[in-house]
Amino acid sequence: MTQRKKSKTANSQPEILVAEGLCKTYGHRKALQELSFSLRAGHILGFLGPNGAGKTTAIRILTTMLEPDSGHFAVDGIGSEYPEKIRRRIGVLPENLGFPRQMTGIEYLTYFGQLYGRTAAKARESGHTLLENVGLQQREKSLIGSFSHGMRQRIGIARALVNDPVVVFLDEPTLGLDPRGQQELLEMIQRIARERNTGVVLCSHLLSEIEGVCDDVVILNLGQIVAKGTVAEVIGRVQHTTIPRNAVRIQVAPALAAQARKILKEIPKVKKITPISEMEGWLRVELVAPVIGKSSEFYQVTNNILGALIKVKIPILGFEVDGGRLQDVFLHLTEETIK
Amino acid sequence: MNNVHTPKGDRVGRSDSVAPAWWLVFSRELADLWVGGKAFTLILIYSILLGVMVYVYSFNTELSLIPPKEAVYEMLKNAMAFSMFVGLIIGADSISGERERNTLESLLLTSSSRRQIIIGKYLAGISCWPAAFMIVIPFLNVLSQGDEVLGPAILWGALTGTLLVLAYTALGMLVSFWSSSNKVSYFTSLGIFVLLVVPAELPGKSAGAAGQFLQWVNPMAAVNHFLSKTLVNYRPVSEFLTWLTTSIVFAVLTIGLLLFYAGPGLRLEAGKGGKLWARLSRAIGLLVSASLMVFSLAASPAYAFQGNQQRVEGLTISIDKTYNIGKTGDKVEFNTVVTNNGTEATAPLIVAMNVINLDAHGDVVDPEDWSPQRTQYMESLKPGESANQSWIINTILEGDYMVYIVLIPQPGSQNATSHPIASSGIHLTVAPFTRLNPGGVLPYVIGVPIALVVLMYFIYRRRNRQIDTGGSS
Repeated sequence: MTQRKKSKTANSQPEILVAEGLCKTYGHRKALQELSFSLRAGHILGFLGPNGAGKTTAIRILTTMLEPDSGHFAVDGIGSEYPEKIRRRIGVLPENLGFPRQMTGIEYLTYFGQLYGRTAAKARESGHTLLENVGLQQREKSLIGSFSHGMRQRIGIARALVNDPVVVFLDEPTLGLDPRGQQELLEMIQRIARERNTGVVLCSHLLSEIEGVCDDVVILNLGQIVAKGTVAEVIGRVQHTTIPRNAVRIQVAPALAAQARKILKEIPKVKKITPISEMEGWLRVELVAPVIGKSSEFYQVTNNILGALIKVKIPILGFEVDGGRLQDVFLHLTEETIK
Repeated sequence: MNNVHTPKGDRVGRSDSVAPAWWLVFSRELADLWVGGKAFTLILIYSILLGVMVYVYSFNTELSLIPPKEAVYEMLKNAMAFSMFVGLIIGADSISGERERNTLESLLLTSSSRRQIIIGKYLAGISCWPAAFMIVIPFLNVLSQGDEVLGPAILWGALTGTLLVLAYTALGMLVSFWSSSNKVSYFTSLGIFVLLVVPAELPGKSAGAAGQFLQWVNPMAAVNHFLSKTLVNYRPVSEFLTWLTTSIVFAVLTIGLLLFYAGPGLRLEAGKGGKLWARLSRAIGLLVSASLMVFSLAASPAYAFQGNQQRVEGLTISIDKTYNIGKTGDKVEFNTVVTNNGTEATAPLIVAMNVINLDAHGDVVDPEDWSPQRTQYMESLKPGESANQSWIINTILEGDYMVYIVLIPQPGSQNATSHPIASSGIHLTVAPFTRLNPGGVLPYVIGVPIALVVLMYFIYRRRNRQIDTGGSS
């Protein structure tokens, strides 16, 4: 297994996936329009978009499962006119990957290693290493049919790495996993990109995780790119221009949430306070009027909110400005589609 | 597009000792089918069904309702039909099933050629046939009861069965390739089976040129006709080889389509994308239909009947037996001699046997059931020349019968006739005979499924030793 080390700075890493003007139409519906982006070695690219945005079509085209109507892409310098050569350089974890239930973990990886041209012995050796990398070495002789969902996702990732790919496409790898499983898998993905210097295209609906893991992000809506760049660039660009900032989110100890609500209600310019569902201790504080951009009035109100809580000695465990997260940017950019 | 990384060759280098993709897929599919239990279950059901059938056939043979040759033929026919069904449903699941189970994508994402994937799956799909044929051989042996039909039955059964299983498994895979869901694939395959195989299995014969044409174009019906004539009716193989044309053409077409059309076009969605392929598939469909029609018309037996007709008087026929007393299941052999006592050469002659029930209240005899060869054709006889004929009768039912032979000179023209000459009769008295273990088949009927279950047990035990049986964690 080739372990490529990052020897250059992030920006000097070579572009290993370049897409230019990819288009795909189904009947009269334009599934993809002029998709262009690039991915550097060792980088993780978040590929986002609401359902029907064209993510799956894009991934299918980039993994040679579909042919574009127009446009071109290259993986590791190999043009899209050579799909078989491209397949030797990519690894894919599809969203709904099925597994042969009667195979053991090591048999599965050995089989795919052999299909990529390895001898049985080398494929088996590589399989052992991959199982160790994804933390399944203890279950290598267990039937995949007996694996939990998280274990299947792990072995799916191991399978995607079986040919030591230049680019790995992971479609919703954390779907259906518990928070710990999600966290472990995302750490594993980061490790793969870092240690193997592999480019990773990560499709996910877990925007908070994407934000923490990805170097770059592409947001698709109705088949078109609506934002792309580094995570910070995309958030910054959208946040300071278009998103109305009229709310903040505060996290306090769950036991003190009721007291905090009572205090915050008394602050001028505070319109409404609502607990955020499924996020214990989090409160969304809505202000009376939208405050756009770097408004001094907005900062004054947020200072008043924080000051009031500190004054009564309620510990503030978290504080976010509405619109300051990738999730806010995503919701704003894809608002019409979601509606 | 700047700073593009330059490739340094394939990520996973190929070496000479790596196994070809078709072999890997074949091995994997074979393990899935057999160790996974699907093939074993089907073969076990098959062996039980064969056991029931062989018992019934043996019982009927003991009762002499059907002669051993016919029982062998019927058993072979049913074994082939079941094997075709198994091939068809394994083929029907091979691609659309993988699509539904979401396992096809990971296979297509490898760098293996699509055609090699198809070849591997196809070879695994036909793997049930050798097992099915091996299982039927002891049954055929028991049913033949030492009859010489066993050798030709195994030879022609193996050849024609292989031909049909190859064709129908390929057809099942083509259906699976084109089907959007596994359900559609199964139903379509089942429909094809009912349309093509069931009419071939039903008793009764197609009448007229149209009926014969339908029988000829149906691969299974044509093969059945070939086997029936060569195994049961002692007819020379060369005379009926044209009946194998359809199955050969069918096998070549289906395998060709599978390897050269479906193979390269295998993808995630059903069928093969692109308008060009849509047009091409329609053209291929028309070509298939047209070629089947051309072949059928060119080689239809309806076109093969011709004759040169003459008429000569002074013929006699003698028979070497006057009576026979026996039980059901006996084989009665006798000879006839046809002599030309006239002064001119005779026309070509036809000698036909008939069996009559002497009991007015008994069943009407179907002579076809009693003798595999009821009619013999002869060249013309010169003045003073004689010809011998041998006959066999299998006593089917108890009762009182008369057997006689009729000699018919070929009529000279369409508007002429000739005078049939009858031999003296053989009086047959047949008594019933039954046993609980007819033909000694019970050990096979019970033993084969048990042997299969034991084999399955050892295979699963060996497999369980290779794996951890712990649950998920």
